[in-house]
Formats: sequence, structure tokens, C-alpha cells
Amino acid sequence: MNLKEISFTVNGQSVCVFTYPAKPLLDVLREELNLTGSKECCGKGECGSCSVILDGEVVCSCLVLVGQVEGKDIKTIEGIGDPDHLDPLQEAFLDCGATQCGYCTPGIIVAARAYLDRIQHIPTHEEIKDALAGNLCRCTGYTKIIQAVKKAAEQQFILR
Amino acid sequence: MSVQVEPKKLKWVGQRVRRKDGPEKVTGSLKYMTDYQFENMVWGRVLRSRYPYARIKRIDTSKAKAYPGVICVLTHEDVPGFNGFGIVIPDQPVLCHDYVRCMGDAVALVAAETEEIAEEALQLIEVDYEVLEPVTDPEEAIKDSAPKLHPSGNIHSRVHVKNGDVKKAFAEADVIVENTYYSPRQMHAFIETEGGWGILEEDGSLTIRCPGQYAFRDRLQIARVLAWNPERIRVISNPIGGGFGGKDEITVQIYLALLALHTGGRPVKIHYKREESVIAGIKRHPFKVTMKTAAKKDGTLVANKVVAFGDTGAYASLGGAVISLAIEHSCGPYYIPNVDLEGYCVYTNNGIAGAFRGFGVNQVCLAIEQNIDMIAEKLGMDPIEIRKKNVYHQGGLSSMGHRVTTSVGTWKTLDAAENCELWKNREKYKANPSEPWKKRGIGVATSFHGIGMGFGLPDYGAATIELLPGGRFLVGVCSEDIGQGNGTVFAIVAAEALQCHIDDIDVIQGDTRRTIDSGTVSASRSTYVGGNSVLAAAPFMIKLLKSTAAEIFKIDVDLVELRDGKLWAKVPVEGKNVLTYADIYQYLYEHRRETKVEGHFMVPKAEKQIGNNVGMPHHVYGYQTHVVLVEVDTLTGETEVLRVVSIPDCGKVINLQGLEGQAEGGAVMGMGYTLYEDTIIERGIFKTTNFTNYILPTFKETPIIETIPIEEAEKTGPFGAKGIGEVVMIPIIAAIVQAIYDATGVRINHLPATPERVYKAMKEQGVIYRG
Repeated sequence: MNLKEISFTVNGQSVCVFTYPAKPLLDVLREELNLTGSKECCGKGECGSCSVILDGEVVCSCLVLVGQVEGKDIKTIEGIGDPDHLDPLQEAFLDCGATQCGYCTPGIIVAARAYLDRIQHIPTHEEIKDALAGNLCRCTGYTKIIQAVKKAAEQQFILR
Repeated sequence: MSVQVEPKKLKWVGQRVRRKDGPEKVTGSLKYMTDYQFENMVWGRVLRSRYPYARIKRIDTSKAKAYPGVICVLTHEDVPGFNGFGIVIPDQPVLCHDYVRCMGDAVALVAAETEEIAEEALQLIEVDYEVLEPVTDPEEAIKDSAPKLHPSGNIHSRVHVKNGDVKKAFAEADVIVENTYYSPRQMHAFIETEGGWGILEEDGSLTIRCPGQYAFRDRLQIARVLAWNPERIRVISNPIGGGFGGKDEITVQIYLALLALHTGGRPVKIHYKREESVIAGIKRHPFKVTMKTAAKKDGTLVANKVVAFGDTGAYASLGGAVISLAIEHSCGPYYIPNVDLEGYCVYTNNGIAGAFRGFGVNQVCLAIEQNIDMIAEKLGMDPIEIRKKNVYHQGGLSSMGHRVTTSVGTWKTLDAAENCELWKNREKYKANPSEPWKKRGIGVATSFHGIGMGFGLPDYGAATIELLPGGRFLVGVCSEDIGQGNGTVFAIVAAEALQCHIDDIDVIQGDTRRTIDSGTVSASRSTYVGGNSVLAAAPFMIKLLKSTAAEIFKIDVDLVELRDGKLWAKVPVEGKNVLTYADIYQYLYEHRRETKVEGHFMVPKAEKQIGNNVGMPHHVYGYQTHVVLVEVDTLTGETEVLRVVSIPDCGKVINLQGLEGQAEGGAVMGMGYTLYEDTIIERGIFKTTNFTNYILPTFKETPIIETIPIEEAEKTGPFGAKGIGEVVMIPIIAAIVQAIYDATGVRINHLPATPERVYKAMKEQGVIYRG
């Protein structure tokens, strides 16, 4: 297969990579763009650790080929906040203790951020569970993540 | 010398403290080992065995070596030192030379320019095997007729504890129950698979970056294989994307080291795909436990007889210790005067089993707690009442026959269970299932878990504290943070002892160059041992701060007071009468003096060993009771856990947020063990490959979890703390099984309690919904 130039937007910046179009987006993000917040865990769309937002939709970047994202807009965990400028959702994760080993955390925050951006109400626990059902975590027992998403939603819809 | 802080003045201990590493984790900016990138790197891959059991006749690497882009191909002939590893007995070959004993066995290593070339090169390595019949059943494996997988035979270890007169006690008992329980091969399923970097540095030293649970022991195991002085090797093992015991043993460290010696100084990376992690990684020991338990009419437990078989797979790893811990805990936190407890750790060709959160106790807890429930039912007793009647108390004897002098919270956890809202209103909760064909039930169970290594095993900790510019402190404890938050615990302990803000403490862990040996992150030990180590170092720092202040003040050190994180002169002095830690640092720096101290802690031991069993007993235990509410679908056999009350006794709570995190994570992992998870191996071949056919609990299955800490302070612990990492996942197993029984009237003795098993049991007993 031939190398190809592929252009797209990541976290608001235009990028152009010269790579194999069949390479998974996750590998391009990690190896060529040094955006290592997205993680590989199962490599087949079971765990959500590699979640990114592609034109507003949460996708598993291990299942998207980079050739498919020509001209598209991608947001990764690095585009949501950094330690000096935390997103309110990330603050809520810290307040609630919703991260332990932290390896699944970027994918869950990406999925939860996209969910909170999509809805117009404070979700119930059951709605949060449904929204994040595609993300696995082995440490936390999920409880504090649900609390954190709820807390961020309350801030987003009441306090703003 | 010790640090005295009055309990009522505690500023950080017992609070809800945010994780120190939280901001980096929630932003994805924390670099795990496989997130690093190095120029001019190469990819490493491992050739696995093609069969679960076979003799290697010939290995030919010539085609692979000649393949363009391949940098090196290594076999057992390239191992310079000892070709083996294993925490207790190094019986696992690094690269197999005569036999392969499981599908995870490594036969060759490849380094290549790209991952794809490495993969292609693996296909070009020719290995001729003489295929042998695998040994797959532990009870068959111990027979004389079975092929011997190791020169010493197939019994890796046997543990036996006998007290009192079991025969007489059974003869005189009023009620006896006997059952056999089977438990699954649980997979750690850490989200980060095994991986890392090996780099031969310009000065000839070797750096291995690989997540692990004991960097100093990993270094020793690497050094033994290379025949190097360990001092020439630096292991960086922190941070870690989940461990649970699965990164306690060597994973890829030795492969990285061997490859790094053959890549001309180019950094080499290995990162397992999940499928390789499933096959190569250790698992929880599946057990068969036969348990016969007897009681008097009043519910007093009088005898327990146990025979347990643990399948350790092809190699020992920590299998012997797992069986030992299982036997030590096989009677629960109760006093049973007559016991005969026997455990076997057996080699088979079923993958490899090793350390996993709970370490053998999960398997036996299911048995003893179920047997007690059956006895209670026969006697018409309340399940909490019978447990309260039989628990041992501080100062009392355990079923092992040793006096437990440390804190024991079992009775209080059971009392809290009895008084919790879920238990008190259990009839109300059970009365309203979500559908007419569903049935609800409630279960309760209790357990315990030893802290640290146990009698006769080396168990120590050490910490450094360094005063930094600006008056900050760097606390170093090698014991890694595998997610549980022990780094934040060390910071809390240090902030309390040094009277400073937690933001002024930095913590470094898991680096053999920058920290000193503090033992493993396992055995629920790091809060207890690491916390005590920080408390052992703190007085030396206080002494340094005070004596330096005295020098600046030009007064006797006894006239310096440390108060509110500052150093005060108690008598009039020239100039200012108060100094900050920043002032002390500046003075030491200007005088070119050392600003680092260290402290060491030896873990106290029980008075005497139980029989010939190394590691038995433990001195300190954590205790835990769970109450659960389940709903069983009588049409499908599917069980849903609706509510969990987790009641841990970890001694004094250091970080309430961290404790709840452990309690919740443990509850859900225990739920997975009980209801869904099993790594299926048939005739030595893995049928489980990835998370498509290994079912983990998700957000959807998360119950409502309430944590009620019982703080039975332990005087040998840091601020009274013990440990909790493992026991939080244990009694919930038996509690769920009991709740299924309460709901449906069927007892499941073979875990996981899948819908198929529950449905089949209900059908056999005629418990099916008829509208």
C-alpha cells in the first residue's frame, strides 16, 4: 500500500500526515502527532479507551482508519483541557475521585464530554450509565465516575 | 524517635483528599511507559508456543534473521545468564529450550524496524515440536500416571494445618454440611496491557521502563538473566495502568533487556495487543474446594475440614503463596477449634496463574461463608447472629491457633451490617421486584485478609524525604501507585507529620535510581508499610529542620519549636525569631549540605509460625462485611446486583476518597468474578481471546454502592491505618451467591453464576416462572 498525504483538524489545528491510509487513527494520533492521551486497550472497539470525537460523534479511534478522516474534525482528550485549564468535567472527576489508575480516564472523559454537549438536561444515573456503556474501567467500580458526570452536568445546566 | 500528632488535631488524615496525580490523569497528559517516544526506536515481539505442551526439537531462525528490516532474533542460546524467572522459584524459562508448557511460553524474540516486519519475522521462525498430551486437571496431574511437567513433579506445594481433634468434633456435632466449590480463572483485565521500553544507555547501563509492582525485584530478576550487576540496571515502573497483582511477576522486562543488548543502542519497545496479554499474562488460580463444616445446636462452629486444589498452570510464580494464604483464611475470621486444612498447588498446562487481588482468599471465602449460611438455615439462626457468635476478637485465638493481638473489626462490621438500612428493611426491598418474573434476595458475608508477607518472609519498607527549594518536600517510596492512590496516602502522611500543606509535598515512586527499596505493591501492604516508612523518615527531617534552625538562631536545639509548619525560637534571638522551611533550605543550600533523609520500617511479625508453613500467620489483618441485594430473572437466569453495602475495617482511614474508591472498585470486581468472568481454557488452548468473550462489568451493571468504614485503629499502623486493597472484593462473592439463594432457592457452587448455570439450577429444582 502506498503512503498518502491526509489532512484533517485535531483540537482546532490543521494537521497533515504522510502515512498509510489504512493505519488506525489511534496509531496516527499517538505515534505521529504525539497525542498519547488516547490509549489502546482492546484494539477492537470493546473498551472505549481510545475514544475521540469525530465531527461531533464519539468513535473508537482504533476502529477508524486515518484515510477515513480526510477533511474531518477531531477532538481528543488533549483538546478538552490541560492541568492548568481544566474542563469543569475534569474538575468534577478530581473532586469526586473518579480516576484511579487513570488509563481509561481520557476515553471516559471524551465520551462524557460529548454526551454533556449533546443533551440539554441534567441526566439521571441511568442515562449516564447508558451514555457511557461503551467504556470499560477496571479500578473505580464506575460509581464515582457517574457522580462526577452528574456533578458536572448540574454545574453546566444550573449554575452557568 | 517518633512523630506524635494528637488525633483531634489531624489536618489531612481521614479527610477526602484529591489525588496528587489527578490533574495529569484526567487530562491525558500523564505519560505511561508506552506513551513515551524515542528517536530511532525499534519494535520488539515475542514468538509464543504453538502448543500447550510439546518438546522442542529444533529452532531455526535463519530465515527470520535474513528478512529485511529485522535487527535481531534471539532464542535461549542468547540468554547470557540464568534462563528463568519467577518470584519464588524461577521455574519459568525466559526463552524455552527443551519444552513448552503453556500457550504463553516464549520461544524467541524479534526486534525489527516496524511492528509489521517484526510480526512477519515471527512467522519465519521455524520451530519443530513433538506434540505432547497436555495435563489439564489438577487432580489428574497429581497422580503417578500423569506426565511430570517439572523435574520435581506436578505438586508445586502442599500446605497442611491441623488443630484439635476433627474426627471427634464431627462425631459430636449437631449439624454438618459438606460441599464442593469451583471457582473461575479470573483475568486481571487491567486496561493497560503489558509493555515498555528497553534502552542500552551510552554509559553501558540499561534502563527498563515497564509498569510493575516491585521495581527492585524486577531489577534483580532481569540481572539474574543477564548475569549483570543489578546496579547497572535502572527500572522505572511507575505509573501503571492497573495491576491487581497481574504485574507483580515479570511481564516484558526481561525481553526488553535482552533485545536492548542486540539493537546497537536503539531503544526497543514492546506493547502487547490484548490477545497476547490474555495468553501470556498470569490469571487468578481456579480452585476446587471441598469443605466440611460442623456446628453445635447453638450455632457454635466446632470443626472444619478443607481440601483445596489450586491450578497454578505451567509455572509457580506466587502459586505456593496463594495456596498458603487460602488455607490460612479458609476458616474465615472465626474461631473454630478443630480444623484439618489441606491445600495443593498443582502444575498443569493451563496457562499460568499467579498473584491476583485477594490471593486465594476469594476462593475459600465462598466455601466457608456458604457452609455457614447452610448451617444457620438448618439451625434456624440469623446469618449475622451466627457470624457474630463465632468471630474472634482482638486478643483471641484464630482458627490457625494463633493469638491475634492486632485490631479486629469483624464484629463491628457485622453489627453495622445488621443496622444498615438495606438489611433492616430487607423484606421491603425484596417485596417489590421490577417485573413479576423476577425474584429478589439479600445476602451477607464477611471475610478478612492478611496485610503484608506473613511470618518468615522478608517484609520491610523505606522512604526518603528531601527538602526542596521553596520549602517543599519530595517524598520517595519505591512501592508503585497501581491506581489505588498510595502516592496520595504517602503525601497525606508526610503533610501531617511535617505540618505542611499537601500541595507542598511531591511524591516519587517506582524508580530504582531515585527511590529506595520499599518492597512490593501487593498483599494490601503499601499504606501500612509505606505510611510507616514515611513516618520513620519524618523525625529525621524534623531533626534536620530544628538543628538547622538552632544554628541560624544561634541557640540550643531544645529551644527551637516546630509549630504550624514553622520553626520558632523559644527565647529572644538576634534578627527574626521564626523561620520557614524555605529559609532552612536556603541556608542548607548555601552551606552545601545534604537536605535528604531516609527512614526504614520492619514489618512486625506474629509470635510464631503455623507449622512448617512459611508466610503463616500474618500479624495484621483487614476485615470486611458486604450486604447485597440482587434480582434474578427466572426466565433467563440472569442476576443483577442492585445494591451493595460495603463495610470495611481498614483501621484508621487515611483518605476517605481513596477508601471509597477501593470499596467501590472491589465490589464491582467481585461482582464480575461471581457473575460473569472466566478465562476459558480447553485442553490447554485459550478459548477466551479478548473482551469480546471475556465479560467485564460495565457502567450498565453498576449497583448502588454505599461504604460504611469501621475504623478499628491498629496501634502499629500509620495513624492507626491497616490495609484494604484486597478484602474489599472478597465477601461480596459469597454475599451475591447467598442472595441468589435467598431469591430463588438455588445454591450455585460453581462460579461464575452465569445465567446458564442459574437457569439450569432453577430448572432442576422447579423454580421457574409460570405467570
